[in-house]
Amino acid sequence: MTSNFVKAAIRCNRPSRVLVLLLLVATLSRPDRLFALPSNNENESSDATYHSTVSEVRLVFFATDEHNHNVQQLQKDDFAIVDDERVIREFRSFTRSASIKLDVVVMIDSSESVLPHLQQVTADVAQLISRSPWNSGDLVSVMSFSGMEAHLICAETCRTSFRVDQVVPTGGATPLLDAVSLATTLLIHCRQQDVWPVILLFSDGDDTISKTSFRHVREKILESGTQIYAIDVGNSKRLSNGTATLQRLADDSGGRYVGLADGPVKILNDVMDDLHSGLLVTYLLPKSSSEFHSIRILPTHNLNLQFRCRRGYYSHRFGSARQEDGP
Amino acid sequence: MKRGFWLAFLLCSVPSLLAAQFGIYQHGSVVRMHMGDCMLAHRGMMVAFGPPSIPIRDSCPEYTLVSPNVVYVIVGKTSNQLIPLAEVIDFRLQKNELAVRLDDAKRESKFEIKEMFVRSDWDRIQRHIDAQMKAAEVHDAER
Repeated sequence: MTSNFVKAAIRCNRPSRVLVLLLLVATLSRPDRLFALPSNNENESSDATYHSTVSEVRLVFFATDEHNHNVQQLQKDDFAIVDDERVIREFRSFTRSASIKLDVVVMIDSSESVLPHLQQVTADVAQLISRSPWNSGDLVSVMSFSGMEAHLICAETCRTSFRVDQVVPTGGATPLLDAVSLATTLLIHCRQQDVWPVILLFSDGDDTISKTSFRHVREKILESGTQIYAIDVGNSKRLSNGTATLQRLADDSGGRYVGLADGPVKILNDVMDDLHSGLLVTYLLPKSSSEFHSIRILPTHNLNLQFRCRRGYYSHRFGSARQEDGP
Repeated sequence: MKRGFWLAFLLCSVPSLLAAQFGIYQHGSVVRMHMGDCMLAHRGMMVAFGPPSIPIRDSCPEYTLVSPNVVYVIVGKTSNQLIPLAEVIDFRLQKNELAVRLDDAKRESKFEIKEMFVRSDWDRIQRHIDAQMKAAEVHDAER
């Protein structure tokens, strides 16, 4: 697994990140230590702190009408953003995200609880990767997770290199949150400007062994701006903790939750439609006394419009707000 | 039956149509919004004088509406009572409530008034808050 992450880091053209990823793998058993919040670690940390002015917020969102259909002709004066209670109507740019490159990590739960469905799930993933209308610059990685570890099957080039037999049915416990944390880290370190990080998570959501807390994972997802599409491979009609976990991951990140029972073709179409119907808006970072900015998008005229986006972002670190100057 | 329906429709729509006709709407802009406590909206005779009950912890939208002379903080009565966040919205005061015109005068939505400020006072407070935040930013950058 270590060598896989090293390869992934080198493919990101960020050799300096290799060390970070090695550290990450070495401390996989205690990811909470490595990524603990600075506020919790202030006394322990002796690292230098770099300050820079973060001045622009980049937000991918989705608009649907009263029939839950994507709105094709949305204009920038059709919506306003409530950013940390302030109403924002002036935007620096507004474009369709179809022109944005995707950096997708497909995560396959290969733990004991989903083994009966694994073959089907793997076939669906292969179908998704091979048949989806990717743009030329889109990157696709595939990762499986079970037991105590996540295994990177192929990094960034999976559109051509992924094979069904690469996913080994190992069984064991489900380190869901650890694995999502790891995938988010990978996306953060490979992050380039104007690339949209996305996780497609095939799991039953039933975490049995992670050391990372849900809160920590949520925070990391919001910081990085990663959008999660959670595909429930369990019984999505029966309410369970797993279903609730997947729904929250998807909702908080601005992604979507779908049940595998919907059928692979519908899932693939829904997810790909969604990825290609996203809208990207940028605006000046509003002043706020807190680092976390909650976000909500509301209509300016037509109250039937519904908007979906991540719940918020952190203005102090990577991802959601672009650093325009400084290191 | 049909007549009754039309009569009801006229009774509902005439006040807002007349209001629009005679230009009694004021204009303002929503500058802040958050989900706050619904308790204000749920108060009333029954709540005040009725038997004690467990309060419902629901959240309702709270808006800061800035008009040329007065700034209103208004609260929706339900969690999904939304105001279109257009640059300029039309509203009027009606029996201690604030009625916002929706869908170009086809209907109105009524909100409880939580607070009111004279615009010049509110502007002064905002300038003070901005100055404090700027000072905090400078302090953080220097640290």
